[in-house]
Amino acid sequence: MRNMVSDAPRTTLTAFYWAFILYLLLPLTLMMAMSFKDANFVAFPIGDWTLDWYAKVMQDKQFLEACLYSIMIAAASTLAATTLGTWIAMLIVADGIRGRTIIFALACLPAVVPGMISAISLRIFISTIDMPTGTAAIILGHTVHAVPFVVVMALTRLRSMPRNLVDAARDLGADGVVAFFRVTLPYLGPALFGGMIFCVLLSIDDFVRTFFLGGYRPTLPMLIFAKVQGGMSPEINAMATIVLVVTAAVGLYAEFITRRARTR
Amino acid sequence: MSDKLTTTRRTALKLFGTGAAVLAMPSIIRPRPAWAENGVLNVTTYDKFLPQEFLEKFQKDTGIEVRIRLTDDQGKQYNLLTAEGTNPSTDMVTVAGHRYSQFISSKLLQPLDTGKISNWKNLNTAYQDAPWARIDGNLWGLPILAGYEGLARNVDYVKEAPSWEIMFDPQYKGQTSYIVSDFMTIAMQYLGHDGDFVTYAGKPEIAQKATNEARDLLIKHKDMVRKYYDAGSEVQQMFINEDIYLAHSWSGPAAKLIMDGHPIQLSVPKEGTFGFCYTLNVVNNAPNAENAYKLLDAILASPEVGAAMTRQSGYSSTMNGVADLLNDREKLASTLSQEEVDRIIFFSSINRDMKNEMIDRATAEVKAA
Amino acid sequence: MVNSNTIAGDAAGRSASIPKYSTGIARIVNSAIYRHTLGAAVESPIGRVILLAGVPLIWLIMLHIGPIYQMLKISLLSHYPVQPGVESHFTLDNYAIFFRESLYFTPLIKSFIFATAATAATLVVVYPVAYYVAKIVKPEGRSKALLLLLVPFWAGELIRTFSVIMLLANRGAVNVLLREIGLIDRPIPMLYTSFSLGFGLVYLICLYMLLPLYSAIEKIPGQYLDAAADLGAGPFTRFRRIILPLSKDGIVSGCSLVFLTCIGVFATPMLLGGPNTVMFPETISGFFHGASDKWPVGAAFALIMLVTALIAAGIFMRLVGGKKGSAI
Repeated sequence: MRNMVSDAPRTTLTAFYWAFILYLLLPLTLMMAMSFKDANFVAFPIGDWTLDWYAKVMQDKQFLEACLYSIMIAAASTLAATTLGTWIAMLIVADGIRGRTIIFALACLPAVVPGMISAISLRIFISTIDMPTGTAAIILGHTVHAVPFVVVMALTRLRSMPRNLVDAARDLGADGVVAFFRVTLPYLGPALFGGMIFCVLLSIDDFVRTFFLGGYRPTLPMLIFAKVQGGMSPEINAMATIVLVVTAAVGLYAEFITRRARTR
Repeated sequence: MSDKLTTTRRTALKLFGTGAAVLAMPSIIRPRPAWAENGVLNVTTYDKFLPQEFLEKFQKDTGIEVRIRLTDDQGKQYNLLTAEGTNPSTDMVTVAGHRYSQFISSKLLQPLDTGKISNWKNLNTAYQDAPWARIDGNLWGLPILAGYEGLARNVDYVKEAPSWEIMFDPQYKGQTSYIVSDFMTIAMQYLGHDGDFVTYAGKPEIAQKATNEARDLLIKHKDMVRKYYDAGSEVQQMFINEDIYLAHSWSGPAAKLIMDGHPIQLSVPKEGTFGFCYTLNVVNNAPNAENAYKLLDAILASPEVGAAMTRQSGYSSTMNGVADLLNDREKLASTLSQEEVDRIIFFSSINRDMKNEMIDRATAEVKAA
Repeated sequence: MVNSNTIAGDAAGRSASIPKYSTGIARIVNSAIYRHTLGAAVESPIGRVILLAGVPLIWLIMLHIGPIYQMLKISLLSHYPVQPGVESHFTLDNYAIFFRESLYFTPLIKSFIFATAATAATLVVVYPVAYYVAKIVKPEGRSKALLLLLVPFWAGELIRTFSVIMLLANRGAVNVLLREIGLIDRPIPMLYTSFSLGFGLVYLICLYMLLPLYSAIEKIPGQYLDAAADLGAGPFTRFRRIILPLSKDGIVSGCSLVFLTCIGVFATPMLLGGPNTVMFPETISGFFHGASDKWPVGAAFALIMLVTALIAAGIFMRLVGGKKGSAI
C-alpha cells in the first residue's frame, strides 16, 4: 500500500479531507451552539446560555411522535425504493434490452420534477386511482421521489461489474435469482448503502409531498417548517441537535457492531 | 412619540382589535353538552395558532376529534384544495388577506353563516361586516388577525422613515429587502397610482402603464436590494443579523421582533399602505362543516386563542378581550398612531384578475432583470 | 461491503455439485414454494423476462409516468382548475408562451449555466475527499471516515441552510470573529451573494456527488495501481490513466444527480442567493404560488424543463461515458 502512493499526495489528500470535514461541521457547530441561547430568535452573540429549549423539546409529545412517524415512513420508503431501484437498474444493464435510454430517462424523471409540481401531480394521481390520503400515500410519494437516486447509485457499480462473477456463479449451478442474491447484491453493497442513505435523507427532508398526501400526523420536517414559519427560534436548533446526536450515536454503534462481527 | 401613542392608542386599537373592549368578554367558555355525535374536524392552520389546552378542552366538550395539518405558507393550502377538487381532505383553512378573494373566486370556500356562530358578537365590531370581507353578498370567513404592509427599520441605523422614498435612498444601498409582488403595489402607491387596481376596472391600458412605471422603478433601483424574500422568517433573520436596515414587511413578522425587544420599528409611510386580515374559513364541500362551525364558535368564546394567535404571528387580534391577556410590549408592538391607521387601505375584492395578472408578470420581469 | 475478490473466491471454493448452498438460501431455493414459483420462472425464457422486466416496467409506467401524465393533461388545457361557467379547451398556447417571451427563456438558460457550474464545482471539491476515503483510509477506518461525512446531513436541508446563514451573515460567526480580532470595523457582506450561494450549494449537495464517487472508486482494485507504480507511472499518470477512467461511472452518476437536482428541485439554496439569482424553478413555482394562479402554464413550463434537463443529462452521459463504456 505504502509504495503505491507517494507521501506528498497522501498528506495533501488527508489535509483536504479534514478541511472538508471542518467545512461540513463548522456551520453545524454554530447551529448547535445556538440551541443553548436564551432568547426567542437565533443570533450572535449567544449571551445567556440555557438548557430550557432542550427541556421544552424533550417534553414536547408532538416532537417525539413526529420523529417516530418520520422514521417509520423513511424506513418503509427506503425499503421499497431500494428494492425497486435495484430492480430497475438490473433491467437497464440486462443483456438484449432495447430502449435502455428511455427506461433510464423514465427512471430519472421524478428526480427532476420540482417538489410542488410533484406533490400536486401525485395528489391528483392518487385520487384517480381511488387511493386515500394518509401514511400509505406518503410512503408511495417518498418512494417515487427516491427511486431515481437508487437507480443511479446502483448503476455506478452495475455498469462495470465484471461479467465473470455472475458467470462463475451460473457455472456453479446457481440460477439467475440465486446468482443475484449471492453475487450481484453483495457486489452492489457500497452503492446500495449510498442509495439507502439518499432515500432516508430525501424522506426526512420532504415537506411538500407529505403535506399534500396526508399530513394530519406531522412528520419531523412538517413540524420544523411550521415552526420556522413562526420565526427561527433556538427550539428548532435544539430539535435538530437532538436528531443529529442520536443519529451519530446510532451510526457509531452500528459501525462498532459490524466491525466486531467482521473481526470475529 | 409616546405622547402621541397614548392619546391615539384607543382608536388605533379599535381597528386592530387588541384593546378597546367594546363588548364585555364572556368570562368562561359556556359549558357544552357532550354531543353524542362522534366526529372529526380537519383543520389546516399555522403552528401554535390553536393552543393545545384549548383544543383538548374543545375535544373533551364536544367529542369532536380535531386533526391539525400544519402549513407554512398560503400557496400550499391553495394548491392542495385545488388539486383535491370536490373531495377536500380538509374542513377548515387559514387564509391570508391577499389570498381571500382568490380562494373565493376559485370556489374553494363556502359562505359563512354567521347565524350558526352564537359568539359572533365577540368579534370586534370593525370586523363583523367589513366591506372587504363581503364578496358576492356573502361573508366567507371569520377574521382572526389583522395586519398591514409596513415599513420596518432598524432604529439603530435609521431614525425616521416617513416616506417609502427611503427604500430608494442611496444611503441604504444594498441594505433593503422586500417581497417583490407586494412592494410593486406599494411602489405604485408611492408613484401616485392605485396599487390595489380598484379604479382600474375596465381600463387595462392605464393599469399597465402604472404597473410598468413601478416595475421600471424597482428595476432601476435593484442595487438597493440585499435580497428579495418570501417568508416572514427570512426578513426577521435579516434584521437580526443586520444584513438589512430597511424592509417592506408584513406587520406580523416585524411585530414579533419588536415584542422580543429587538431595535425594530414599524411605520406606515405617508403614501399609505395596504391592510388585510387572516381568516378562518370553512371549505366548500367540507365533510365536517357543522363541526367547523362549532370550532369557530369556541374560538370566539376564548380570548386566549386570539392571544395565542397574536403571540405566534405578531398580528393584532380581531377579537374582543384579547388585549387584557397581552403584556405591554405585545400590545405596543401592534399599536399605530391614528394618523398611520388612517393611511391603511384594506385590500379590495374588485378587479383582482387584472391586478394579479399584471403584478405577477411585472414581478417576474423585475426578478429576471 | 464485501470485497469482490472474496466473493469470487468464495464461489470458486464451493463444490461444483448442483444447488447445494449453505445457510438459509439453500432452504429457500430447495423449498417446494420456491421451485414452483420463482424457480420455475427462472427456468423458462419468458419467465425470466417477466421476472426481470415486469415489476420495473409496471412501476415506471404507473408511478413515474402516471403523475406526470396528469401534469401533461393540465398543461394542454386553457383553464385549470375549471371554474363553473368557464369552458376549458385543448390548447398548445401554454407551451408557446415559453418560446414567445425571453422573460421566461432567460431564467432557463441561467438555470442550466448555474447547474453546470455547480456540478463542476462539486465534482472538483468532492473527488479528492471520495478518493481519500475509498483508497487512502485503511479499510477498517473507512466506515468511520464516511460516517463523519454523513452525520451533518441529518440535520436536514432547512436547518443546514440556516446554519450557513449564521456563519456568513453580517452578524454571523465570521464577521463577529473578524471584528473581535480587529481586522475589520464594518462587516463584510458575504451573505446573499454568489459566494454564499456557491458555498451553501456545495455544502448542501455534496453528498450526492460523494457517495457515487466513493462507490465507484472503492471498487478499483489496488493491484492495478501497484502494477502501474511498478511500471514507473507517477501519481499524476496513475490518476489520469487508471483512477479517472475506472471511476468514470461514479463521475457520471454523481454529476447527473447533482445536475438534475440543481436544475429542477433545489429551492433551499436560493435562500442564500442575492437578488440576481432567480432560476427557472422559481419561475415555474410563480405560476403555482403567485396570486394569479396559472397551473396550465406552470405545468407546461415544468414539462419543458423536465425534457430539456433529461436531454442535457443524456448528452453529458454520452460525452463522458462514451458509447462503449456506458450501458446507457
